[in-house]
Amino acid sequence: MIPFRFRLTGILALTLAALTPGRAQQISIVGGNLLMSVTTGSAGAQPVAVTSTTSSLHWKRQNVISKITVAASCPGQRFSLAVLATNLTYGVAAPQVSLFNGMLATDFVLSIPTGNPLNKTCTLRYTASSTFAQGNSTELGNDVYSITYTLVAQ
Amino acid sequence: MLLTAHPARAQVYGSAAHTVTVQVSVITAVQVAGGSVSLNISNANVVAGQDQMTAVDQSTSLLWGTNSSARKISVATNLAAPKFTLQLFALNPTQGTAAAQVTLSTIAHDLVLNIGRSTGSCTLQYTGTALASQGTGNDTHVITFTVAAQ
Repeated sequence: MIPFRFRLTGILALTLAALTPGRAQQISIVGGNLLMSVTTGSAGAQPVAVTSTTSSLHWKRQNVISKITVAASCPGQRFSLAVLATNLTYGVAAPQVSLFNGMLATDFVLSIPTGNPLNKTCTLRYTASSTFAQGNSTELGNDVYSITYTLVAQ
Repeated sequence: MLLTAHPARAQVYGSAAHTVTVQVSVITAVQVAGGSVSLNISNANVVAGQDQMTAVDQSTSLLWGTNSSARKISVATNLAAPKFTLQLFALNPTQGTAAAQVTLSTIAHDLVLNIGRSTGSCTLQYTGTALASQGTGNDTHVITFTVAAQ
């Protein structure tokens, strides 16, 4: 039989855990992983860049002004990928960020105000591009980017 | 009281990650700029005492783009039995190396070599040749340029 005071402590701990959202819940990506295909190009120009807006970022406002950074890794990167925050509900979008292997965390959304912690969102607008000189995936393989968004105090 | 300095470090509230895969297809594009070419061999092309007459045109150009390695451009005509001779040379290619002047036939001939993974252009220099002894007439060619493995 567990003494009453220990049971009370356990109940309090569970209550606190429920009231304090875990880190993983503070920011999330909706839309899963993406495959972007560059398929056409023009003579005398370059392959036509493709854009995807099927993913979105969701986060909770904090009790201090915060921001979201983006970082990426892509070993053996050959082509180009950039991302821009659009349709922001709160905060200010940074200029489009070019993603490359080994990049440092770079500002993505700035000046997210404090307030109601309900989910805030933005659309992740990815643009994939290549040049004729950069080759193709049949000969060189795909670029696979692991992209991380982090919510931090500003 | 002992004060210690710590480097400023932003509070991290959480992170999320996903994977984005970029796939680039084999892309090849080739285009002729400048429209149709008309080579007219007339009195102006005649040199007294010579049977051979020529006319030259440099009004069109070829544009291309390919993201495959080891590529070349070849050229062929659809006219199986031309009355006159039509030759083509790639003038000043921005990428690759011009092959020797080609006498056009239904068999593909190399026009520009070593263009792999590039976008470029060249001027198309057509030379029409007729002999006085061949008389008059018209040849109409449909000329096809192909980017191919080298």
